[in-house]
This record gives sequence, C-alpha cells and structure tokens, in this order.
Amino acid sequence: MAVEYDPALINKVFEVTDPVSVTREKIDKFCAAIGESNPLYTDDEAAKDGPYGGIVAPPSFAVMFRNGRHFFENVPRFGRRGFDAGKDVEFVAPIRPGDAITLSSHVKEIYEKTGRTGTMVFVVIRSTLKNQNNEVVAHIDHRFMNRP
Amino acid sequence: MKRFADINIGDTLGPSEQFVSKDNCRAFARAGGIEAPRFTDDEGARKEGLPGMILPGNMSLGLLSKLVTDWIGAEGGARLIRMSTTYRVPVQPDHKLTLHGFVTHSTPAERTAEIDVWIENEDAERLVTGTATVQFDS
Amino acid sequence: MSTTLDLHSHSDASEDSRAPVEAYLNWIRLRRSERPLDGIVLTEHRQYNRDADYRALEDKFGVMVLRASEVETNYGHVLVYGVNDDILSRFDFANIRLDAQTLIDEVERMGGVAVPCHPGRPNIGLYEHYAAKPPLENLIAVEVLNGGSRKGEDERSAELVARFGYHAVGGSDSHLVSLIGLCATRFAAEIRSIDDLVRELKTGIYEPVDFRPRRKAVAHAVAEETR
Repeated sequence: MAVEYDPALINKVFEVTDPVSVTREKIDKFCAAIGESNPLYTDDEAAKDGPYGGIVAPPSFAVMFRNGRHFFENVPRFGRRGFDAGKDVEFVAPIRPGDAITLSSHVKEIYEKTGRTGTMVFVVIRSTLKNQNNEVVAHIDHRFMNRP
Repeated sequence: MKRFADINIGDTLGPSEQFVSKDNCRAFARAGGIEAPRFTDDEGARKEGLPGMILPGNMSLGLLSKLVTDWIGAEGGARLIRMSTTYRVPVQPDHKLTLHGFVTHSTPAERTAEIDVWIENEDAERLVTGTATVQFDS
Repeated sequence: MSTTLDLHSHSDASEDSRAPVEAYLNWIRLRRSERPLDGIVLTEHRQYNRDADYRALEDKFGVMVLRASEVETNYGHVLVYGVNDDILSRFDFANIRLDAQTLIDEVERMGGVAVPCHPGRPNIGLYEHYAAKPPLENLIAVEVLNGGSRKGEDERSAELVARFGYHAVGGSDSHLVSLIGLCATRFAAEIRSIDDLVRELKTGIYEPVDFRPRRKAVAHAVAEETR
C-alpha cells in the first residue's frame, strides 16, 4: 500500500525560475550568518591566488536559491504545512559573484512513512541549478515533509 | 594541502563547539529570504507547535558543510562535492551545539572520502545527521 | 561462548541511509576494542531483500551479517527476525499501517519473532500507544537500548520492560557508518545464523549492552530464561 498520487507528476519539470544574480554582498551575508572566515570565500587578495582564481561562494550557498512562486501550486500537498526534512546536494561547480543562477525543478519521488511526529508524506523535489553559461553548478534533492 | 594518501579511516573532523544565537539565526533567515516566524520569533514558532525559534535546515547544512571545508583548509587540494542531511530534531538557537565528523570510507579510484557529520546538543542528542563526500586533486 | 550482535541497523538499501555494508564491517573491525561485536543485523525500513548475499564481506572482515526488517504498525515500529517466504507473502512490508498484534502472532506462527523497537519514542514506540490501547499479547522482547534515542526515551522503554516483564535487547539503529554498534545485545549462546538468533530471542539468555560514550547505563530487567 502506498500513498496515492498522479504518476504523471513524477519527473515533470514544473518550474524554471528567472535568473537570480549572485552578488558579493549576498555571499558576504551568507558567510557572516554561518561564521565563515575561510579566505577562499571572504578575502579577495588571498582568493586570487587560490584554486578558483578569485572569491567563490561556500558550497552550501547553493541551497539559498529558492524555488519560485510556482512551487507550492505545483508540488503535491498532502497536509496543512510542510517541513524541510533534509537535503542531498551535489556541488558540481563553484558559484561566483556575478553569476546568474536559474533553478529547474521536478518531483523525483513521493513516499510515506511514520516517525516521531506522526504519519508523514515525503515529496522529493530535485532542482538543477545552472549559471548564465548554462553550466550545471549543483543538483539538490530536497526532502519536503508533509503531515497528512 | 590535503592529499588523498594522507587520509585514514577514522580521522576526525572537530568536534567543533558552536553557539548559534537567535540573532545569528535571524541573520541567516534574512540572508536566505526565509523570514518565517519559526526562524525569527519565539512566540510565532510556538504558535506552529515548536518549542521556540529553530534554525533553518539550510543553516544546519551550512554549518556542517563549513565543518568539512574548514577541515579541507584554505590551501585547496580537495573540495566538498556532496552533502546529504537529515533533520531529525529541530535545532534551537541559544544552545551549545557540537559538530562532529568522522572519515568512514574512501574510494581510491575516484580519490573520494566519505565523512559522517552530525550536530549534537548538550544532551548528546543527534539533531541533524549527514554524510559528506570530499574529492581530492591528488 | 557468548555472541554480541547489533540487532538494529540500516544500510544504503534504506532510503534514509547512505552507509555501505562494507564500510560498517570495516568500522567494526577498526573499533572492536570499543564496540566488541561479533555481527550486525541489517533491518532495512519496510523491506526485506531475500537475495542479498554478504558472505564475501563476512569473510573479508570477520563480522557476521544477518538480515531482518523494520516494519511500521499501529503500535509503532517493529523489528522482524527470521523473515521467510511465508511471512513475506502474508505481509506487505511497505504498508505503514500493519496491525501489530496480527504481525506478532503470525510471525511467531511462521517461525520468526517480532520485537518492537524504540518503545519509548513518541508516536512510533509502544509506550505512547499503551497509554491509549490495550497492551499487545505474546510479546517476548522489546528494544530497550536504541543508539538513536533522545533523552528519556530509553528510560521509558525500560519502564515498559519492568512493568510487563519483557526481555530486553539493544541495537544502534545506525544510519551512519560511525554509529554502528553503539548499542547491541549479548547472548549467552553462540549464534551463527538467523535461525540461531530467532531461537535465542525466544528461549535464550541475553541482555542489552551499551557502548555509547558519556551515557549512563539504563536499568533493565536482569537476563533470565524465558521459558
């Protein structure tokens, strides 16, 4: 017995977002919020001689790009509210100041299980992040948990 | 510079003790444009059935990724190529958190190492668990 | 000759773990002084892979690998040991709404044994269900030490053991390589197969053992003969 949903949902790209610009200021704010002081991400001079030839965003900056306004209308909702249950992120290429990032998203999987907080339906959304050169910078599997 | 040949199964990352204040938590929520009450306001969080403000999952992911990139260091030679997280129990700000990591296995053909990571509270409860993959240049 | 087994673990066959079985066995080999295990039981969520074969890895690392399953019922999660074709055709392990009493009775009749895990955990443990429903019958043992427990959960499990006289087992509930064997079960007898394990769980002498650092021991019933 499995949770019931329209199988046509799976793998259908439901959204491609407008490009979001990556600014140095956004990277700085992200670094400040997690206490990041690695010169690769914070110091222009040091980063110039580093492996990326300039400042890049810390890898986890990739999770800061949100699905757009169509997300909730398109993602199957089984309950009143959802929680972020976990992520699986593949960091493919560095994100740099000046990049413009788009997300394209599809539903990868839907399943249910029981946990500490009750019966839960998991919707796994896979987003692919690309920069302005159409290069993939990251894949993110987002496990989104709903209580039916 | 970190090299694949220097890595041993059982090597530790951290433990790194952190104190994430409510202001840190709000700053992260602002940086990500996710200023929901559960991340910014105790009262609002309690209305959602939570014990008080919690850290966004992405912030836990950011802290655990930092544990790994700190271990790699600023000299390069390796990079974090995958991070997978499970949010088991809400993480509350204004508590002492400890981040742990262990190198658990490696794949010589790909020069990758797999690392267990987690965030623990004062009661040694694992709130967020995850695994990271690091790839080495040489 | 006694046998110490981690009775509860998840590998990358479970949707919420990325731990390869080989890495578990290597970790056990490296940490034997802290966690002296003879073997592990893989209890993948809501499934049982009858074709999995770990003999080559068992030989390579000198650690026994047995297979069971963790299923979901109206009384919380339950570990099923001694899974066989009869049990698999009787129950859909993917069903998260199995009836616990039927599962316990039928698994016993078909030659296995069902052991509720993390009884002290909210919603998916026996303790909370016992507050609202009658206690289950024909239960032999419950998991009283669980490596993933939050504060107070093992204590609630121990309370059930004291109240109902269940036998107590331990398991790590590991989803990460480095957490394998944090809790385990020590059997007085030698165990070399899943049939041995089922027999010992039903009739043998065993006790949970805690290899977690910085934790106080949880009181549990003294091991004694069950029948």
